[in-house]
Amino acid sequence: MADYIVEMRHITKRFPGIVANKDVTIQIKKGEIYAILGENGAGKSTLMSMLFGMYEPDEGEIYIRGKKEIISSPRYATQLNIGMVHQHFKLVSNYTIAENIIMGIEPVKKALGIFPYVDIKGANEKIARLSRQYGLEVDPKKVISDINVSVQQRVEILKMLYREAEILIFDEPTALLTPQEIEFLLKIIKGLRDGGKTIILITHKLEEIKKVADRCAILRRGELIDVLDVQSTSTKEMASKMVGREVSFTLDKTPAKFRDVVLDVKNLTVTNEDKFQVVKNVSFSVHGGEIFAIAGVSGNGQVEIADAIAGLMKAHSGQILLNGKDITEYSIRKRTLEGIAYIPEDRQTYGLILDFTLEDNLALKNYFKEPFSRKGILNKKEFETYGEKLIQAYDVRSGQGNRTQVRSMSGGNQQKAIIAREIQQDTPLLIFVQPTRGLDIGAIENIHKQILAERDKGKAILLISLELDEIMNLADTIGVIYNGQIQKIADASTLTTKEVGQFMMGVKNENDKDGREVKD
Amino acid sequence: MQEKKKKGNLLVRFLGNEKYQFLTIPLFAILISLLVGAVVLLLLGKNPLDAYVNLLQGSGILPKAKYAGGKSMLTDFFSFMDCWTPMIFASLSVAVALKTGLFNIGVSGQMLAAGFITTITVGYSTLSAPIAKPLVILVAAVVGALVGGLIGFLKYRFNINEVVSSIMLNYIIEYVVGFFINTRYVNPISRQSQTVSSEARLTLSGTKIGDLKFDIPLGIILAVIVVIIVKYIFDRTVLGYELKAVGSNQKASRYAGIPVGKNMILAMMISGLLAGLAGASYYLGYYASIQPKVLSSTGFDAIAVAILGHSNPVGILGSSFLINIISKGSTYMSSSLGVDAEIASVITGLILLFAACDMYIRYRVDKAKENLDKKSERRESHE
Amino acid sequence: MNNVIIDGLSFALPLFIMAIGGIYSERSGVTNLALEGLQGFGAFTGALVAYMLMQFTSVDSSAVYYVALLFAMIGGMIFSLLHALLCVRFKANQVISGVVINILAMALTAFLTKVINRSVFGTPSDKFDLGVSARWTVPGLSKIPVLGAVFTNIYPFEVVILVLAFVAWYLLYKTRFGLHVRACGDNPHAVDAAGIDVAKVRVKAVMMSGALSGLAGISFAYSISAKFSSSIYVGYGYLAIAGLIFGNWKILPTLGACLLFGFAKSGGYQIVQNLGLPSSYSDLIMILPYVATLLLLMLFSKHNQAPRALGEIYDKGKR
Repeated sequence: MADYIVEMRHITKRFPGIVANKDVTIQIKKGEIYAILGENGAGKSTLMSMLFGMYEPDEGEIYIRGKKEIISSPRYATQLNIGMVHQHFKLVSNYTIAENIIMGIEPVKKALGIFPYVDIKGANEKIARLSRQYGLEVDPKKVISDINVSVQQRVEILKMLYREAEILIFDEPTALLTPQEIEFLLKIIKGLRDGGKTIILITHKLEEIKKVADRCAILRRGELIDVLDVQSTSTKEMASKMVGREVSFTLDKTPAKFRDVVLDVKNLTVTNEDKFQVVKNVSFSVHGGEIFAIAGVSGNGQVEIADAIAGLMKAHSGQILLNGKDITEYSIRKRTLEGIAYIPEDRQTYGLILDFTLEDNLALKNYFKEPFSRKGILNKKEFETYGEKLIQAYDVRSGQGNRTQVRSMSGGNQQKAIIAREIQQDTPLLIFVQPTRGLDIGAIENIHKQILAERDKGKAILLISLELDEIMNLADTIGVIYNGQIQKIADASTLTTKEVGQFMMGVKNENDKDGREVKD
Repeated sequence: MQEKKKKGNLLVRFLGNEKYQFLTIPLFAILISLLVGAVVLLLLGKNPLDAYVNLLQGSGILPKAKYAGGKSMLTDFFSFMDCWTPMIFASLSVAVALKTGLFNIGVSGQMLAAGFITTITVGYSTLSAPIAKPLVILVAAVVGALVGGLIGFLKYRFNINEVVSSIMLNYIIEYVVGFFINTRYVNPISRQSQTVSSEARLTLSGTKIGDLKFDIPLGIILAVIVVIIVKYIFDRTVLGYELKAVGSNQKASRYAGIPVGKNMILAMMISGLLAGLAGASYYLGYYASIQPKVLSSTGFDAIAVAILGHSNPVGILGSSFLINIISKGSTYMSSSLGVDAEIASVITGLILLFAACDMYIRYRVDKAKENLDKKSERRESHE
Repeated sequence: MNNVIIDGLSFALPLFIMAIGGIYSERSGVTNLALEGLQGFGAFTGALVAYMLMQFTSVDSSAVYYVALLFAMIGGMIFSLLHALLCVRFKANQVISGVVINILAMALTAFLTKVINRSVFGTPSDKFDLGVSARWTVPGLSKIPVLGAVFTNIYPFEVVILVLAFVAWYLLYKTRFGLHVRACGDNPHAVDAAGIDVAKVRVKAVMMSGALSGLAGISFAYSISAKFSSSIYVGYGYLAIAGLIFGNWKILPTLGACLLFGFAKSGGYQIVQNLGLPSSYSDLIMILPYVATLLLLMLFSKHNQAPRALGEIYDKGKR
C-alpha cells in the first residue's frame, strides 16, 4: 500500500443534474506517468480537481503517501506537494511572469526593518535559476499578456516547480500547442518523471499517451472503465474502451467538386483595439463545394479573419468579395442577408442568448423578416412552428422543447441549435470556427458529417480549427496562419501533419522551396 | 421541533416552485422587510400593527377614525392614485432601461428637466385645457426622451457608464433648474416655483362631487395604458425582441446583426420619455409647482419598484402600489402615531435591500429544496 | 488665488481618499457605486460620536476631532460590510447593491439622526452641528508666494488624508495584500488556484473603501457643511468614482483628477465673488465639477482599461 503516492478510493462527486464521478478508484505509483483518458465530460477534470482541492468529493477517500487526507483547498494541496496545470491557464494577465509564479507564497523583505514589501528582485533571480535548471527558459520580468501560449504554459509548470510540487497534474496540456511544441512538452514531462516527480496526465489524445505514459486509467461517463498498461495495449483498444464502442478513425469523404469562387479575400488587414495588426495582408479564396481550412495556433489571427468576413471586426484595408460583390463596407446584418452563415468560436458569448428560449434563439437571424414579423410586430406562431421544425430536423434535445431556456441546455445541444439555425439560413458561405470544441466523439462525428453534407450541396465552407486532426480530416484546401500572415496555401492532400505544424510555428517559409527548416 | 421543520419545508416548497418564483420571492423580501421594520418600531415603543394599519389608512385603503370636511376614504384613495401615477411612469422608465441592460438612476433628473420645461412653456401659458393638457404630455415626453437619449449617446459614443453620467446630469439639472426658478419663477412666499395654470394641470384638483372634494388624477388612465403598451412592446414587437437581446447579451446581439448602439440609445430615449411623463404627472399633476434644488425621491424609489416587480410592467403595477402605500401613508402614520416619517424610506430601503438579494434567496431555496428532495429520496429508499 | 488653492485642496483631498477606497474595491473586482452612501454613513457615525463627546464630556475639542475621524472610518467600514456581503457572499448585482446601499444609507442616517436627537439629546433636530475644524498654517512655508497657500489654513484632516493616501499606495503596489487585491480584479481564478481566498481579499478591499470613504465623509462634515445632515449626500461619492475612472484606476492619476475637480469648484466660486454676482449664481458654479467630469469622461473613457474582472461575480464552481 505504501507503494502508492496517490490513492483515490471510491470517489463519487455529484453536480446538480449529473454524477461527474461514480465510485472511481485509482492508485498511482511514485515516479510514473499516469494518464487519465476519457472523452469530454467523462469526469477527468473533476476527478483531478478533487485531488487538487478545488472540489471535495461527496463520497470516498483520498490517500497521499499512504495517509488519509481531506484536501479542502488548493492551498492544502500545495502543502502536500501537489501541483496542477489547468486547461485554462490561471494567470493574471497584467502581472509579470515572476509575480504570477510567486503569488500566494511571496518572499517578503522589510524596508527600514519594519515595512514589509514583496521582494520581486529576489524572486526574479530565483525563477531565472529554476527555469534554466529545468530547460524552461522564460524572462521573469515579461508581462503575461505579451507572451504566447506555450510560454504561458511554461510559467504554469514553473509555478508548480517553484512550490516544490512532487505530484504534477497536467489537464489537457497539448490542446493549444503545435505538434512541435507538443514534442517539446512531452520531453519536459519525461524529464520531470526521470527526475523523480510523479506525473498525472489528463488527455483525450491517444498518441500522447502512447508516447509517454506508463499506465492509463480510462473514464467513461464518470465511471472507471479500466486501468491499462500502455506498452501492452493498442491505441485502438484504448479508443474503443474510451468511447464504449468500436470507432472508425476515418470519415467517408468523397472528392470535392469545386464550383465558382464564392468568397474572395484580397489583401485583408485587420487591426485590434490597440491598433495592433492582427491580420496582415491576407488573401485567399473559397469555391462552392470546397472546405477551406485555416490551421494555426490559437491567437494568430484566424478568428479575426472570420470576424472580419462576418463584419464583427472592421477591415483596416483590403477587400472581401462574396459572389463577386464587394461587401467590405456592409453592416453585419447586410452581410448575413447577402449570404453568410457564421458558427462562432464562443457559442455561449456570441452564438446564443442564454436567457432566451430555444425558439427565440433559433429565430435570431430571422425574427425581423416575414413571416416571423410584419411591420415590426412579431408573429409568435411562426417562431413556434419554425422552432419545432429545426428541433426535429437537427435532433436538438432539451428539457421543455421550444420553451427551454437555452442556458439550461448541454453544450452539445447548444452547438446543435446554432448549427441548425445557421445551416437553415441556406447561405452560399458557411464559416465554422472551432465547431466541435468541447464536444464528445459522437457529437463531433455528427457535426463533421453535416459540414461535409453542406460542402456536397455546393456551399463554400471556411473552417477554422485549432484541432489539426479535424483540419486534416475535413479540409480540401489548407491555409496555415502564423502571426497574422498566411504562410502557406495548398491542396490538403499534399501536406502532412508535420509540415502543417512547422508552418504553424512560422519556422517553415514558403520561400524555402526545398522545405529546409529555418531557425527563428 | 418537528413542527418547526415542517413549516420550514412548507416555506421551501412554497418559494421553490419555479413557476411562481417571480411572485413569491419578492413577496418574501417584502415580508422580511416589514418584519425588520416592525422590530424597529417596537424598539421605538410603537405598535407596528398600528403603524402598518396607519399606512393603509393614510392611503385610503382602510377607513380612518374620522375625516375632516370634504374628505373621506374615497378622496384619500384618489389622492393616493394621484401620487401613484408618477411612480408608475418612473418605475416603467427604470424597467425599460433594465431590460436593455442599462441602469437609469437619473429618472429624478429627467423628471425635473421635463417638469421644469413643461411648466415654463405650457404651465405658465394661457392655453385652454383641451390644448394645454395634451401639450403638457407631449412636451414632457420629448424633453425626457432627449435627456435620456443624451445618456444613451454618451454611453454609446464615449463609453461613459450610464450610472455616472446620469448622476452628473441629475446634479446639473437640479442646480440649473434651481437657479432659474430662484432668479425668475419663484413665488416669494412659498419659495417654490409659481403654480401652473389649472388648465395645464393633469390633476383636477379640488373637484366637488357631492360634499366631497376630489383630486382626480387624469394621468392614471394614461399610466395604465402605457403599462399595457410597454408590455406589448416587450412581448410582441421586433423592437422589444432587440432590446431584450441587447439587454441579455450585447455580443451575441451584435453577432446577430442587431445594431447595439442604436438600441441602447433608443432604450434610454424610451426610458427618458417615461421619466418625462412621470415628471409631468408629478410637477404638473400631483403638485403644481417645483421646489428648487430638490430631486424627487420618486425616481429613486422607482428603482426599488422596478427591481421588486422584476421589470415586468404588470409586476410594476403591483409593486408600485405597495411602495406607494408606504410613502404616501407615512405622513398619516407619522402624525397619528408620533413616529418619524423617515421610517417609511427606511422600510423602502430595506425592501430594496432584500430584493437585491433575490438571487441569493433563490439559490438558498434551491439548495434547501435539493436537500429536501435528497432526504425524501432516502426515506423512500429506506421504506 | 490663495483661496482657490486652499479651498480647492480641502475639497480635492477628501475626494481623493474616497477615490482610493474605490480603487481598492474596484481593483479587487467589486464595482463600488456605494461610496456615496459609505461616506455618508461614516460621517454620521463620526459626527454622532463627536456630538456625544461634546454634549456629555469635557474632552478637548481637538481630541474629539480625531476621535470623530477614527469613528467615521469605523462606521464607513462597518456599513461597507453590507456591500461586501451582498456582492461577495450573496452574489447580488454589484451595481444594484451599490445603489441600494446609497438609498439605505440616506434613509437610515436621516431617520437615526432625528430619533437620536430627540431621544438622546432632547432636541427636535435633523442634524448634528460640529462646527468647522481648527486650521493650521505652517510658519515660514506659508510665506512662499502662490505655493505658500498650500501650507496656509490647512485642515488637520488634510494631513491625515495625505499620510493615509501614501500608506494606501504602498499597501496596494508593494505588499502581498496589494498584489492579491490587484490580481483578484484581473483573474480571480488564478488567485484561487494560488491558494488565496478570493472572497476574503475582496471583503478586505471593500472594507478599505468603506473606511476611506468614511474619512472623506467626516472631512466634508467638518469643512464644507460644518455639520452632519442629509445635505452630506450631494454626489461627492459619484464624483470620486468619476475621478478614479478618469485616473484609470491608478492612484496617482486619480489624484490629478481630484485636484482638477477641486480647483474647478473653488475657482468658480472665486469668479462669482470677484464679479460680484448674487448668491443664486453660486448654484450655477456648483455644476462645474459635474460638467468637468462629464467632459473629461468624454475624452478619456474610451481609452481607459477597467480591471478585467470588474463586476464579475466570482463563482468557484465555474471553470
